[in-house]
Amino acid sequence: MRLERSQINISNGSTFDGVIIFCALLLTAIGLVSIYSATYDAGASLFFKRQLVWAILGGIGMAAMLFISPRTIEMIAVISHVAILCVLAVVPFLGKTVAGTTAWLEVGPFSFQPSEIAKITTILVLALYLSKNNINIKSFKTLFTAGAIVALPMGLVLMQADVGTSLIFFLMYIPVVYWAGASPFVVVILVAPFFVGLAALIGTTPLLIALGLLLVALILIRGNGFLSAVVFGLNSAIAVSVQFFYERLAPHQQNRIANFIDPGSDPLGVGYNVIQSKVAIGSGGLTGKGFLNGTQTQLNFIPAQWTDFIFCVPGEEFGFIGASVVLILLGIVFLRGVRIASAVKNKFASLVTIGFIGILFFHTVINVGMTIGLTPVIGIPLPFLSYGGSALFSKMIMIGILSAFYANRKDYLF
Amino acid sequence: MSNGYFGSDIRKKIFNTIIVLTLLVMIGKLYQLQLVYQDEWGKKSRDNSVRTILSEPVRGLMYDRRGRLIVDNRPSYTVTVTPREFRDEIIPDLAKLLNLDEQVLTNRIQRARSWSRFVPSKIHRDVDYKVIVHLEENRHRYPGVGYVVEAKRHYNSRARMSHVLGYTKEISERQLSQMPDAYRPGDVIGSAGIEASYENVLRGERGFEYVVVNSWGQFVSRYSDGRKNVPPREGFDLFLTIDADLQTLAEDLLGDNKGSIVAIDPQTGGILTLVSKPDYDLSYFSGVTPPDVWTAFNADTSRPLFNRAVSSIYPPGSTYKMVLAAAALEEGIINERTTMHCPGWYRLGRGVYRCHRPEGHGDVNVVEAIQRSCNVFFYQLILRVGFEHWSQYGRAFGFGRRTGIGSMDETAGILPDTDYYNRVYGVGQWTRGNLISLAIGQGELSVTPLQMAVYAMLFANKGEYHRPHLVSHIYDSHSRRISELSYETGNIHLSERTWEIIRRGMNKVVDADGGTGRRAQIRGISSAGKTGTSQNPHGEGHAWHIGFAPYDNPQIAIAVVIENVGYGGVHAAPVAGRLIEQYLQSTIIHDQPRRTVPVVQDQPSNGSDNR
Repeated sequence: MRLERSQINISNGSTFDGVIIFCALLLTAIGLVSIYSATYDAGASLFFKRQLVWAILGGIGMAAMLFISPRTIEMIAVISHVAILCVLAVVPFLGKTVAGTTAWLEVGPFSFQPSEIAKITTILVLALYLSKNNINIKSFKTLFTAGAIVALPMGLVLMQADVGTSLIFFLMYIPVVYWAGASPFVVVILVAPFFVGLAALIGTTPLLIALGLLLVALILIRGNGFLSAVVFGLNSAIAVSVQFFYERLAPHQQNRIANFIDPGSDPLGVGYNVIQSKVAIGSGGLTGKGFLNGTQTQLNFIPAQWTDFIFCVPGEEFGFIGASVVLILLGIVFLRGVRIASAVKNKFASLVTIGFIGILFFHTVINVGMTIGLTPVIGIPLPFLSYGGSALFSKMIMIGILSAFYANRKDYLF
Repeated sequence: MSNGYFGSDIRKKIFNTIIVLTLLVMIGKLYQLQLVYQDEWGKKSRDNSVRTILSEPVRGLMYDRRGRLIVDNRPSYTVTVTPREFRDEIIPDLAKLLNLDEQVLTNRIQRARSWSRFVPSKIHRDVDYKVIVHLEENRHRYPGVGYVVEAKRHYNSRARMSHVLGYTKEISERQLSQMPDAYRPGDVIGSAGIEASYENVLRGERGFEYVVVNSWGQFVSRYSDGRKNVPPREGFDLFLTIDADLQTLAEDLLGDNKGSIVAIDPQTGGILTLVSKPDYDLSYFSGVTPPDVWTAFNADTSRPLFNRAVSSIYPPGSTYKMVLAAAALEEGIINERTTMHCPGWYRLGRGVYRCHRPEGHGDVNVVEAIQRSCNVFFYQLILRVGFEHWSQYGRAFGFGRRTGIGSMDETAGILPDTDYYNRVYGVGQWTRGNLISLAIGQGELSVTPLQMAVYAMLFANKGEYHRPHLVSHIYDSHSRRISELSYETGNIHLSERTWEIIRRGMNKVVDADGGTGRRAQIRGISSAGKTGTSQNPHGEGHAWHIGFAPYDNPQIAIAVVIENVGYGGVHAAPVAGRLIEQYLQSTIIHDQPRRTVPVVQDQPSNGSDNR
């Protein structure tokens, strides 16, 4: 155990995680190619150049993170988080509205999405709190405080009407507290109502299956019997009340929920994008239609394809091979991330790593799931690929931080 | 330390498992989409971006027997609306510009919306060119409003020919359900006259053009460089047997009278003229026919849409007497020298039947009876010939059945026979008195003007029959091939002597002193005919005249009927005479029918296939 503070230390034999950097850069490159194709007829050069500028800035940021001491990161976490919270608070009033969401601030020629940076600082502060030696992760007070740390920026993001991003804030809390040692019981309490509620909306059979799975999970965890019974009872109550209220909704509200669960039932509304993106990906076949030859992509059948539906481009133009390469590269990033989290001795760094990987993972699952018709339509970007400068920039910063953590994995205190 | 599970190995494994399983599920879904169901999605993707544009063929043209263009096509502007770009605020302006009811326009735009938001839908046909110019100059004020150029019928002849040519109409729901493969909503289809009976020939075949469009349905490029496109096959042109000059004159001569004129070329059966009055101006139907015009036509008690030449049935009156004469001569009941006495009336049982000449015709033979149209001669004759023979000869001359001209609304008329009377009056409930009316072409006997023209042709040809028809040739302007249509011919085999006697009588009707049809005489040309005045419950008699000329080498056979004007010899005979004279003079000038289009190859085909 080394107690002396250390700078990032290449000389002591540790190195950056080159694999994760390589994967992130390759994904960014695929994203640039995809954006070029998706906007080819709308003056591709403009979108492409903007994203390229952000990619270069992101690359510089990533490289800078390698040379900034993780200790420094730890130190600036709180102050930067407070600053970003202040910015978030003013966004609903000063921000630019795009597609119903007021999440952008305009700084000079760039528009900038503070919530992307807020995800990073929130994870930093959450990790900082949970890595303290004097907290008891099993206590309700700790979990509540950790929840409050996440809830504050999540609430501010909700004020921007950005449901997708606020969902990410909620979701990223779960792997972080679990990694910090919280009981799986906590995970079940947080996750179960969503699955039970969704299953209740779909039908009675899925609901019974969901409740059955919940029961099995509670038995496997072998926690407090009374609490388990309460959790099961509450979830059952949620299921019943969801069905009760759904029956009493106006038909158009019922439709909206039905369309959310099954976009295909509304082919001209919510379902339009999903159907068109499935057509794009499905028609790609094994090797795709070739760069700039995707008819769905080039003929604008998928609205705003360069942002949330960017995954269609590799899917249509480079086929199963192209789409799988993207998923496999992302998979390598996630697995490397878990490896880093496990390898670093410093608790703060370990928790930050899990938080970042959680962000990237949930973005990927929700985005790709939506594009291929596995999950409901929730508008969040695909990491590294979607057009959007601040999203790309923040994700490259994350990778830089992770890689720097890996280089310092042997240090407990940095 | 209570955080014993921090970053534990088991939790690392759980995370790795979740990551791997999630990725496997997504890659599995991709495998299903892209490899298992690729064909299905691929087809959807092509359907998305490849649009089929129908190219409508140009409807075939029509020429008259001398090769003069009668019917061709003119551009017609149809205003379209693309709902996605259209704004409802401009409905009042647009309605005013198109001279449409606002509600009607709103409904049409709603219908367009439900069809497609991105594809232009036809909103209003046959719009004036000035309106198009206005739209073009004020594009910004009419977002989503465009136009396409279509074709409408254009008529070049002074002759109206309403009932001959007929008109096209937008296809009805019912027609569409009967022929779902051949037509689409909004197509026009021949609905009357030649336009209807030659629909399949005139229409052509639509072509297909494949284009790549973007998600807004906007043209991007041609699909496969147009290699898969199928060009439309233009409709075939028709050469009619109609003589436009003769038709014009016939229409003028009938003027405002109700009635009909049918003239036939006895050597072929080709119809030279077919007039039904009152008629209508075809240009009402060439573009869009407003509903009020339809209502007006249908409400008109003189029924202008009704084709009297083939659909209206009249008693033929005295023009029918030759049927009885033919039966009597042919069955040997009388000969040329057989005379009967006409005191001006005839008594049968308690009934007294008059001749049209109160003082009577004295002793007359069959030639004189025809020449002077003596009723009493024929009253006595039908009783000697008998009902059976009378009906049998009527059938031989083509009465009581359709001529097969190919018009959908042709009627058969009524030729009474024993069965018919037994059915109408009951067995034993009718007497010889009923026959007396039939002898002079009255009673239940009913004929169409077309049947009478065929009847005149049979006397002109001494029994040789050609099926009457309106189209002689079909021309394929693409391959420049012309096909002559052939029509059924036949013969009523009567003895030469019978023909000679009856034709002599008919000749004297026109050319001899004391003939009833002397007003049909043509200077310098010997002709034949027979007048008739058919009694009817609507007032004055219908004036009839049938005839043919020249007597020795007939070029034209004609039937004229003018409703409720009085004597045939006074009113119908001069009309027939004028027409025959005009036709014979012009045929001498024109010699033989000439065609403006070079004939590449004569290819006989069976005309009846096209009817």
